[in-house]
Amino acid sequence: MTLAIDHLTKRYGGVVALDEVSFSVEPGEIFGFLGANGAGKTTTMRIVLDILRADSGAVTWHGRASTELPRRTFGYLPEERGLYPRMRILEQLVFFAGLYGVPSRQARRDALDWLERFRVPELAGRKAEELSKGNQQKIQFIAAILHEPEVVLMDEPFTGLDPVNVSLLRAAFLELAAQGRTLIFSTHQMEVVESLADSIAILDRGRLVTAGSTREVRRRAGRPVVRLGVEGDPELAWAKALPGVRSVRPGSDITELTVAAGTDPQSILHAALARGATVTCFEVADASLEDVFIELVGRTDDVEPATLAPLAVESAA
Amino acid sequence: MIHGRLAAPAESGNRSLLPNARLVARREYVEKIRSRAFAVATLILMTVAVAASLVPIGLRAIDRGQTTRIGVVSPDPATTARVIDLISAYLNPVPPNVDPATVRPGYVLDAEASLQAGLADIDANRLDSVLQVTVGAGGGLDFTFHGNDGPSSATIQRLQVATFGAAVVEYAQSLPHTGSGPTFHTPSFQVEPTDAGPTISPIDPSVAGGRTLLASIMIVLIFITLTVYGMWVATSVASEKASRVMELLISAATPRQLLVGKVVGVGAAGLTQYLAIIVPAAIVLALQDPIATALIGPADPGEAPLVGLTLPILLAFGAFFVLGFLLYAFVYAAAGSLVSRPEDIQQLAMPLSFVSMAGYFAAIFGMTAINSRFVEILSFVPFFSPYVMLARVMVGQVEPWEVGLSLALLAASIALSSWFAARIYGAGVLLYGQRPGFRTFLRVAIRPGG
Repeated sequence: MTLAIDHLTKRYGGVVALDEVSFSVEPGEIFGFLGANGAGKTTTMRIVLDILRADSGAVTWHGRASTELPRRTFGYLPEERGLYPRMRILEQLVFFAGLYGVPSRQARRDALDWLERFRVPELAGRKAEELSKGNQQKIQFIAAILHEPEVVLMDEPFTGLDPVNVSLLRAAFLELAAQGRTLIFSTHQMEVVESLADSIAILDRGRLVTAGSTREVRRRAGRPVVRLGVEGDPELAWAKALPGVRSVRPGSDITELTVAAGTDPQSILHAALARGATVTCFEVADASLEDVFIELVGRTDDVEPATLAPLAVESAA
Repeated sequence: MIHGRLAAPAESGNRSLLPNARLVARREYVEKIRSRAFAVATLILMTVAVAASLVPIGLRAIDRGQTTRIGVVSPDPATTARVIDLISAYLNPVPPNVDPATVRPGYVLDAEASLQAGLADIDANRLDSVLQVTVGAGGGLDFTFHGNDGPSSATIQRLQVATFGAAVVEYAQSLPHTGSGPTFHTPSFQVEPTDAGPTISPIDPSVAGGRTLLASIMIVLIFITLTVYGMWVATSVASEKASRVMELLISAATPRQLLVGKVVGVGAAGLTQYLAIIVPAAIVLALQDPIATALIGPADPGEAPLVGLTLPILLAFGAFFVLGFLLYAFVYAAAGSLVSRPEDIQQLAMPLSFVSMAGYFAAIFGMTAINSRFVEILSFVPFFSPYVMLARVMVGQVEPWEVGLSLALLAASIALSSWFAARIYGAGVLLYGQRPGFRTFLRVAIRPGG
């Protein structure tokens, strides 16, 4: 009873856009979809929506093939925002909801309700071309959910929004999830994913790099971060020599150390105490998603993708 | 409220054509009709059409104002005088209950001493034409018309009738009171063009091959509308792509729903404009004779009726217009889905314009050889039949089953082209930044996923 992405492969001419990508999204989950530009996120979403057909592989929702599902199962916020420039906002929202089979009276009422909640009730009678980008984006979000889809796919829903609107959109996400809807969104803002997504998948050049619950992915990266504060020694230059310490990032009072997988963070504390230092702060944390992402995707080109293959296989299994 | 209304998976999908195609069509129609450009263009064209439909009245009025001077020569002054009397009475009829003195004659006939003198008078612009009467051995009359009127001009057509009458009268007077006289000699009537001299309007729209003129007008109308409204469809698709609203549309509705809705919506807007232009003009045309009577007096008995429109012609025109539009519109829509910017359409639509133009020229030139095998074949070929079959209906001989077959082929090709167009459209609308070209068009038609 999940949204199952099963071995999707898609080629455009000679370019492999998706290569045997598999992962699943549980119903009612907020799912973060990560990847560098061109990684294949949009292609995956389009295949789920059945506006693009995969060369091989399948997408099922509750066991039914996505190609056979009614279109109103899904809501979509495309990456490239677009509305009819000269059509009034309320008319557009009612029109799009109508395509999904929502009666116009209901669509009108719900649209006004959402405009109210996004604090833009005055936009109802305006034309799309008169709207700011942020406001157009809010309208697009409403257009994606007005027909109450079971699954909402959103390509970069947070880009271009100011902090106030980001928090409005977050609240909307949580509310939709509480109603049991499944939300899938892509973004480059890692802190949003960290705080919002129950699970994530990371794509790189058409291949799945990792997938799982957010916490699990961070932990699985296996490179915990140690934050250490030592009185009178902000540099911690000696720490670089410790076994298993990969990098040292000095801050104003606290220094961040990344540690190789399998190294016990406690050994760093012991080393510090053994030097007779006064430890003011010691914290062990999972790697931030940003670190995980850079680690997995942000490699330089001379590193062969093959070095990452074992991890990909493991997480896809 | 939105809470707690998590819809169960809908059992009936919304992949059937109707509700969505209707929504798309309605949106398209309303947007088009409301636009200022539409209103302005419609108003201008409406004015032009009404003005054009008043042209025949204007031409008749101009005709009225003119006096045609014809010189008459014959071997015998008495014959000349009798012929002049008879023909003049025929050409200048006096309506009943009207004082003859108030009627200004449209034709003035004068005796000429000789043909040479008459032709000299034409050169000197004192005469428009000369009617030469020759008397045969049996006393029968023959006529030769010297002038620059075309063979279908009103003057010549009326003169033919008038000279026949004159010949009959001459024959009747030559009959003996008893016994049988000579047999009646049917007068010949020949036209000798005089190159010099003033030309009387060579085309007389109210008479000259009225059907051919009407057919040309209708074919031109179909050509313009297929091209203009077809481009509307293509532009509309391309601008949805350019504004990126397409991605939302295509995730909400199927390509077929979008395509059919678009074509029907634009077609309905086109038809609305069409009716707005045609109806006032048609009313003027239908009331042509009353309007002409009111403006320039009653029609002369010899004047041809001004309107050649009949119901079957109108029906054929309507059917070929609607079906022709549908066929072209689907192809235009497919073309529009392949470009990223509306400006690029011209390039992609060019081959289609050539096809349309070929049909147009085939019909226009085909009218001179309307019953040829070539024209006959073209009148069944979709893309050409809206033009060529219409021309055949108007000026040729055509069996009802031929028209039916042509329409059926057209309808079948619409079904086929809409299926192909949906394939291209479904793939094309997601293609951005590619060089639009005929090859992309073909490639996507053959392998939409590729």
